[in-house]
Amino acid sequence: MWSEVSRAFLGYMGAGLIGICYLLALVYLWLTEKRKYIRILFLYMPLALLALFFHPLFAKLVYYAAEDEIYWRVLWLLPMTATLAYTCVRIYGEMDAKRGKRWAEAAALCMAGVIAVSGSFIYASPSFSRAENIYHVPDAVVEICDAINVPGREVMAVFPLELTQHVRQYSPVTCMPYGREVTMAKWFFLHPLKDEMEKDIIDMEALVPLVREYRCHYVIFRPGQKIQGDPLDYGWEWFGEAEGYTIYRDPHEELIIPDLD
Amino acid sequence: MSAVAVELLILILLMLMLPALIGGLCAGLYPGGRGLIFRWISGQFLLWAGFQVICVPMILRQMSLGKFIWVFSGYGAILAFLAVILEIRRRKRENLPALGPGGKQDKPREGVLLWAVFGALLAFQLVQAVRLVFDDADDAYYVSVASLAESSDAMFQRSPYAEGEMTLDYRHALAPFSIWIAFLARLSGMRTVVVAQVVLPVVLISMAYGIYYLFSRVLFPEQGGQRALFMIFVGILILFGNYSVYTSETFLIGRSRQGKATLGSIVVPFLLFLLLSLLKRLQEKEKVPALLYALFAAAGLAGCLCSTLGALLACMVMGGGGLFAAVCYKRPGVLLPLMACCVPCAGYALLYVVLK
Repeated sequence: MWSEVSRAFLGYMGAGLIGICYLLALVYLWLTEKRKYIRILFLYMPLALLALFFHPLFAKLVYYAAEDEIYWRVLWLLPMTATLAYTCVRIYGEMDAKRGKRWAEAAALCMAGVIAVSGSFIYASPSFSRAENIYHVPDAVVEICDAINVPGREVMAVFPLELTQHVRQYSPVTCMPYGREVTMAKWFFLHPLKDEMEKDIIDMEALVPLVREYRCHYVIFRPGQKIQGDPLDYGWEWFGEAEGYTIYRDPHEELIIPDLD
Repeated sequence: MSAVAVELLILILLMLMLPALIGGLCAGLYPGGRGLIFRWISGQFLLWAGFQVICVPMILRQMSLGKFIWVFSGYGAILAFLAVILEIRRRKRENLPALGPGGKQDKPREGVLLWAVFGALLAFQLVQAVRLVFDDADDAYYVSVASLAESSDAMFQRSPYAEGEMTLDYRHALAPFSIWIAFLARLSGMRTVVVAQVVLPVVLISMAYGIYYLFSRVLFPEQGGQRALFMIFVGILILFGNYSVYTSETFLIGRSRQGKATLGSIVVPFLLFLLLSLLKRLQEKEKVPALLYALFAAAGLAGCLCSTLGALLACMVMGGGGLFAAVCYKRPGVLLPLMACCVPCAGYALLYVVLK
């Protein structure tokens, strides 16, 4: 249990430099802060929380009640941002009183620099990318869903794996035989159609029966996808292209358009 | 007026003006209580608390989103009516005009340059929230649940990942933050994915900074310049807060449409702010108003709305803070109302353990 908890703590703290800054802030406040209500919030409670966080009984209790993977969220109770910002302003105030405005301003700039160096610029994260549209999903998803959607009913379409997580955010009437659940290794979610669709070379002979078993109206192939066999030979119709993705319609699955009038 | 402008106006009404009006119920709580920021945030917490109390039983009974919206609108209307009555009475008592700011407003006269720097930091982050996408696979669940609820009128009954019906997922159904997104989309008419991915980050990031501003008012009651400096440091800490993928700062900037992000970056800081306000009152030997405890309870319920873990975190803040307050100020009397505030959270936690 100890190793799991300490792993969660170290994982939360990252490289640990901000953790060190926080520790120094706690020491500074411990020595200088006089107001009891601030000492309670910024010193006593976080220390008690850390003691609780590393306590095996408490960890076991949370692991049982919630999930072991989210235990680190208990650390959200540490008011690190408020404590560090407060400490920086206190140091600034002290420098201002003792050595003058210029020294205080220089100290504030240094502290801002230390924070920037110790932390990690949030927009440098590889998870960020420029939005392709106002929906914040790939343009391909918007164009494909708009093309295949039929007013008044749902359609079933099989997408390449990289698009599946976005499809039902944008278009809840677009159904898929499998979605994000197959990408989660820990769920061991196996799907024969996904296995076929994600092969380097898709074999139409194997794909067609699976597409029909899952009653798909449309099949979307990623750009440059190698396919063994011609989809048109299996009765499929070329429906269109969007952002390089090719859309095929399988007429085997009837698509009755409801009369909305 | 274009359709988008109308949709935006409705969202401004629902996410800014209505909470700011309802927050008037808590206006007397805090030295800056008549300030708009405190009203907006406390009003939103009162709305979230009601949302949780009304929504969860309706989800468990598999009722429709449409029915829920009617009931919740009634709750919002009652709170708004009470707030208006209270405001009229207060203005009469204080001889203030019927319309207008209604009291002394906070004007950051000191440190104008510092406030401008902070404004630039905030504006940068808000622009980035619109301009950039944070790729997170969890959106496939949270945003899709909202999209499906809005389009099918059924809450947590359709599978967000692929297709068809699903058995009720209690873990998420007990914390229906996604349904709040569906509610906003349905009333505004804006597409759910746009509300979740664009509008919500802008509003929630602003709200998170609003809470830190409230902190600054308690920490630096007299010094406007130091308040601005505090906000700049908060801005820098958030901007460079990606030292791991788990931090509440990463969640705030990247994943604010997910309830768990709101829990870590808004609900928890607000609970800590309430605790700071409580401790300060105890320090100054002031009476603790019942309304402050009501706001604690509302924040706890808002935590439950965001995530099932919210119940535990809210109880830890209220319980731990209450214990320290009782011991350090020799005021055991604060423990009982704070424990009472934990009861609804404990109820949801128990329900989760029973149902899971």
